[in-house]
Amino acid sequence: MRQWLGSALTACILAALVLPCTASADALTDMRKGGRMRWGGDQEGGGPYVFPKEDNPAQVTGFEVDLASRLGEYLKVRAEFTQAQWDRMPDMLRTRKVHAIINGYEFTPERAEIMDATIPYYVYALQLMGRKGDSRINSWADLKKGTGAARVKIGVLNGSAAEAYARRFCGELCAVISYEGNTDTMREVETGKLDATIEDTPIASFYAPRFTALRRVDEPVARGYYVIYVKKGETALLQALNEAIVLMVRNGDIERIYRKYGIWDAQQAELVDIVEKGRFYGYLKATATRVERNKMPTEESVKVDIRKRGWQVVKDYSGILFQSAGMTIVLSSLSFPLAILLGLMIALGRLYGRSWLRLPLTAYVEFLRGTPVMLQLYFIFFFLPEVGVKIPAFWTAITGLAINYSAYESEIYRAGLQAIPKGQMEAALALGMSRVLALRRIIVPQAVRIVIPPVVNDFIALFKDTSVCSVVTIIELTKRFSVLSMSTQATVELMGMTALLYLMMSYPMSIISRRIETRLGLEQQP
Amino acid sequence: MIVVRNLVKKYGPQEILKGISLEVHKGEVHAVIGPSGGGKSTFLRCLNGLEPFQGGEVRVGNHVLSPATNPRSDARLLEAVRRQVGFVFQQFNLFPHLTVLQNVIEAPTQVLKLKRDEAIQRAEKLLARVGLAAKRDAYPKDLSGGQQQRVAIARALVMEPGAILFDEPTSALDPVMAGEILELMADLAKDGQTMIVVTHSMGFARHVANQVHVFAEGYDVESGPPSKVFGDPQHPTTKSFLAQTAND
Repeated sequence: MRQWLGSALTACILAALVLPCTASADALTDMRKGGRMRWGGDQEGGGPYVFPKEDNPAQVTGFEVDLASRLGEYLKVRAEFTQAQWDRMPDMLRTRKVHAIINGYEFTPERAEIMDATIPYYVYALQLMGRKGDSRINSWADLKKGTGAARVKIGVLNGSAAEAYARRFCGELCAVISYEGNTDTMREVETGKLDATIEDTPIASFYAPRFTALRRVDEPVARGYYVIYVKKGETALLQALNEAIVLMVRNGDIERIYRKYGIWDAQQAELVDIVEKGRFYGYLKATATRVERNKMPTEESVKVDIRKRGWQVVKDYSGILFQSAGMTIVLSSLSFPLAILLGLMIALGRLYGRSWLRLPLTAYVEFLRGTPVMLQLYFIFFFLPEVGVKIPAFWTAITGLAINYSAYESEIYRAGLQAIPKGQMEAALALGMSRVLALRRIIVPQAVRIVIPPVVNDFIALFKDTSVCSVVTIIELTKRFSVLSMSTQATVELMGMTALLYLMMSYPMSIISRRIETRLGLEQQP
Repeated sequence: MIVVRNLVKKYGPQEILKGISLEVHKGEVHAVIGPSGGGKSTFLRCLNGLEPFQGGEVRVGNHVLSPATNPRSDARLLEAVRRQVGFVFQQFNLFPHLTVLQNVIEAPTQVLKLKRDEAIQRAEKLLARVGLAAKRDAYPKDLSGGQQQRVAIARALVMEPGAILFDEPTSALDPVMAGEILELMADLAKDGQTMIVVTHSMGFARHVANQVHVFAEGYDVESGPPSKVFGDPQHPTTKSFLAQTAND
């Protein structure tokens, strides 16, 4: 018992220490050596930034995808999209999981403190949008005209610059309502539930053809800049990216890409200004070599049928949903056996191990049960690399889930082991068995039978908990649903399909569990 | 075979056994009787190391258990003792997840490392002897108490121990089943099986045992052949105890 547990613990600790800690070269050298630039974005953000391709939702498209691959060409590396949670991007950068963030990240002094910013690749502003034929709202000032129940209702994206602006601008004079999706607010204005919405200009432009009942009101305000962020101190990479952006502004590449997505507007003139006059924060004027403007290719534009809805969507996307369900299955069926094994060893250690083992094991269980699994994954993925332990996202997910669930499993096993009468251990010992042998042959097999129902219960819970793995860049079923529902209008249908898939995975587990119980119950004392 | 010298067992400040000495030779049957709470079962459990004790020593063959014996660091010693001394519990303690046959062959295959076939052969012979050959594939829950205790006896016998300790083997059984078990034990005694039996059955103590010990308040107050203990009791405790159980 003691040796078994001891060596297992040692193995765990060794595994944690031995894992490779890559020496940190500068990002540009690393990119050149690997031949690829990993850039971070969240496809849940939707069009026109980064969103799933309509015909192949496993791949992404968007103006930032085009921008990144063109930048890659100039830097002589292949641009590789890396999915990550939007608000976790700085951590991805800090832990060198991506070389750059290209995902509608605005330039702010706060961000510039912790990361290095390139010159802008896009100049955005906030566009007020109302309904065609609604004569009440013709200017920003009109937003403040309603009173009481007739206050103007404005929809904004939760946590966006638009929300902050709207709340500051209106104060108490209009109702600001936050939504989770970019396109939700526009739809709500069309249907009349909202009076107006405030969107970033690229979104307003990109979706204009799809929301034909909307119109732009007044001039855009609160101009800002999308910039590429790199890790603090990566001067070489910053320089290379800046040069590439300068080149692309001058030779028309940027304009071509933005026109393709319908987001080239008058404000982009400022890009040229910045490039030619060196007018952007710490950025120095670009070298004055003349660049030949590339010929504008014939107009190509992207068609994203955002109105697409109904069960057709489910039919088209069931393939990728099934694939993501596969990820859910892989995650749970790899992590759960580990959790069970670990949990059993912890329970045995607490009940039968040496006394000095008990306190740390109890602390382990209480700590892991008492903190959210999301934070634990976050710790493994974003903190351990700081101390030299780099675990790939997939194994982070497996390890994190296994460790978290091992705490729960150990409690179940502890209860199960304690339910075995003392006489069983005594009878086994009296036959000359060692404690380890008695545990292995007599006690644990009986405990396992007792704990089947709660363990299966936890397995089903784990199935659904795998969705937290999106914080460590894993796309499983729930994340895939969020991404797809953002770029179609079939939210309800996709939700139904997703729920059905979860049910299809968990229900058979219940049945199998009941079968095992019945079979094993036959031999147990009534 | 088993020599006990001045055995002292305490639970905290309370002394349960206050210096017990006895000797059991090969082929002897010792019955331990006496009022409840006299330390009979505790005594038996000290003999195979299920209970640690605080004074004296227990000798089984060449092995010596002492107060210094540690259940972890001296595990090998305890296992060796237990291979020589079988134990039959009041509550049977069969393994509920194993069939009758599996219960009996578990220790021979796992502890003695016998080949499965060989263990099964031994087991079947013993199951036939205790009259349960037909139940070999049944699970414990499908057996009566008496049948379960017979399996437990077969489970102890299959290890071919030098001695078997019986801890009130019939107390959980109704009189008919108890009778069957006592008959089986008498049968074993006749074959020369060394046994120490804690029992409330005066009949067994009187007719089967070679030596009878009367335990009261932690002392072996009176011991000797049954004819002497039952025929001419000396100690007042023995007298009152025998008077109480006279109708047994």
